[in-house]
Amino acid sequence: MSDHEDEDAPASAAPQQGPVAVLSKVFKTYQLDSIEVPVIKGVDILVRHAKFTVLIGPSGSGKTTLLNMLGCIDKPDKGEITVAGEDVVALSDDALSDFRAKNIGFIFQNFNLLPVLSAYENIEYPLLLAGASAKKRGDRVPRLLKAVGLSDRAKNLPGQLSGGQRQRVAIARALARKPKLVIADEPTANLDSTTGAAILALMRRMVDQYGISFIFSTHDPEVIKAADDSIFLKDGVIQAIRRKTEQAA
Amino acid sequence: MMVTLNLAVRNLLRNRRRSLATLVAMSIGCAAILLFGGFSANINYNMQTHHVQQGGHLQIQHRDFFLYGNGNPTAYGISDYQKLMAAIQADAVLSNMVLVVTPTLQFGGIAGNYAASVSRTIIGSGFVAEDVSRMRLWNDFQLPNKVKRFELKGAAPDAAIVGTGVARVLQLCDALKIERCPKPEQEAKEEGEALPDDIAKLSAQETPAGGAAPAAPGGQARIEVLVVNSRGAPNVTSVQVVRAEDQGIKELDEVYVMMHLAQIQQLVYGSATPKATSLMIQLQRSDQVPQALERLKPIIARFSASQPLTVLDFRTLNPFYVQTIQMFDTIFGFVFILIGAIVLFTVSNTMNTAVVERTVEIGTLRAIGLRRKGIRSLFVTEGALIGICGALLGVVLALVAAAAINSSGMTWLPPGNVEPLALTLTVWGEVPMVTGTAAGLVCIAVLSAWWPAYRAAQLKVVDALRHV
Repeated sequence: MSDHEDEDAPASAAPQQGPVAVLSKVFKTYQLDSIEVPVIKGVDILVRHAKFTVLIGPSGSGKTTLLNMLGCIDKPDKGEITVAGEDVVALSDDALSDFRAKNIGFIFQNFNLLPVLSAYENIEYPLLLAGASAKKRGDRVPRLLKAVGLSDRAKNLPGQLSGGQRQRVAIARALARKPKLVIADEPTANLDSTTGAAILALMRRMVDQYGISFIFSTHDPEVIKAADDSIFLKDGVIQAIRRKTEQAA
Repeated sequence: MMVTLNLAVRNLLRNRRRSLATLVAMSIGCAAILLFGGFSANINYNMQTHHVQQGGHLQIQHRDFFLYGNGNPTAYGISDYQKLMAAIQADAVLSNMVLVVTPTLQFGGIAGNYAASVSRTIIGSGFVAEDVSRMRLWNDFQLPNKVKRFELKGAAPDAAIVGTGVARVLQLCDALKIERCPKPEQEAKEEGEALPDDIAKLSAQETPAGGAAPAAPGGQARIEVLVVNSRGAPNVTSVQVVRAEDQGIKELDEVYVMMHLAQIQQLVYGSATPKATSLMIQLQRSDQVPQALERLKPIIARFSASQPLTVLDFRTLNPFYVQTIQMFDTIFGFVFILIGAIVLFTVSNTMNTAVVERTVEIGTLRAIGLRRKGIRSLFVTEGALIGICGALLGVVLALVAAAAINSSGMTWLPPGNVEPLALTLTVWGEVPMVTGTAAGLVCIAVLSAWWPAYRAAQLKVVDALRHV
């Protein structure tokens, strides 16, 4: 790995080889009016370090809820969640915010870029939140833009970018603070197949190149095909877990 | 902070039409408050100028004169007022502040036009015409009003000025060429009855040498003034009315007479040492009043050994002025509250709409690590920016509108005034009012944004991200 690549890798990428996230006997129930709807029913998941993991299942199977809990933006009713070695269930709201900023990147189905900020500024924003110096930002953001192939679009607002370009910016933003885990909720759903394939290839490259763990929810067979680990979910229960390396072994 | 500010500015610019509508509403509100405040300030300055021109900033009086002197003013005379004046003029500090120190003698009596067989009770004042004339030049607020000439200045020693009501009742309208002066339906007698012998004799004694005949023929502006002298005896003199001045208030206009101090002192005190009921002190500026009061204390104490004296400022002497200013202050406060409420709801509505529109963005920002506090700061900053820009725009708008109105030459007739005044809105230079209003509206804008900001910060991240 070159010096250049080292800088872009997550801070803990090199020494850490254990699971990046562990869900243990996690339950989640939603209240819809007066009806309680159990969404996750005692799920155990292990997300491996520097792997490409997908959550597969029909609509309403609980994929997004699981991703939200892994991304520390939702809490389980019962069970334990450990992300990057930290028991996140016990953390306060502010502590969770800080934890997310440091350890988790998000890629949304609708890209969710800030429309008033340019591509450059969207990628820079997490670094500004972290209080990164101007020099550090000036080094890192152009590199990320280059990595996602958008150096020439740095000044464009999201409204001036195509869907694929926006998703590339979103990926770069998710990687800006060198997270340990990137959560992606159907990242290719709003893209055409060619763009979707390009985005997938880009994310695959990020996993391989920077040692970041990606976890997706998806229905896209191409994404499923590209995954290292696949977790099949139905009615809030894990139906099967397939790990490529195990198969290979 | 700069990140939040940058994002807030861009968010406001993102929906320009809505931000502009809010800004315009706020700036018009701010300008309306300031214009009313400018109008109110101008009334204050006009009234203050009028009172200071008429009675000075301070008056030294017998302790009880202000409350009890109206019934028998001459009983409350200051005996050695000349020495007191000299002491004030000799004081090193006061002499730098004082423009005019002048005595005045208030009196009560009867004025009659015996040629027309009419008379009426009067109250009056004796003045040193030169001093009063100088007092009328005081214009510390640079008001564009004409200086009213004091007609006793340079007039004969037996000259007098009366209220137009006095002139009307004493049937002097024709002689004084007073317009809009209706005569009573019952024809006035062509030839007045002769004065009673004793009164006529007294009048003849008091009339200065070379003066006119005691009972003037009808149509001539000469009246007889009868007062009770310091020994309780009636004294009468004949005076030449040189002018009738509307006093603004009907009750005063129908009783008021102004004469030379020397003449009224002669009438009241005869050969005894003359006294004055007040020493009027006019200062260079109204803000010197507290300092002058402090400086006067030992001087007054020195002269109070034989007679209890006190110093009253123009606010105490003119309760109507204070009440009027308080009334305008109250109206100003009321207007501020009304417009403040409109600003509150306008900004609040804008911010609520922004929160609803940007719910997914709020979820995204929270997901990537912005704390609740950061979300609150973002929306409050947007409210504050609207507030600051709206207030600044409002100040500029008020200044421009005030300048336009002030240069338009419009006039108005305030209650109690005789001549129309230039309609002037004093906004420029009213620093406390302008900054207070602007700061108040900015605070209201921030307050308006706080609740939507709080609501935005309390959103659950997953709910915000799911928002459609």
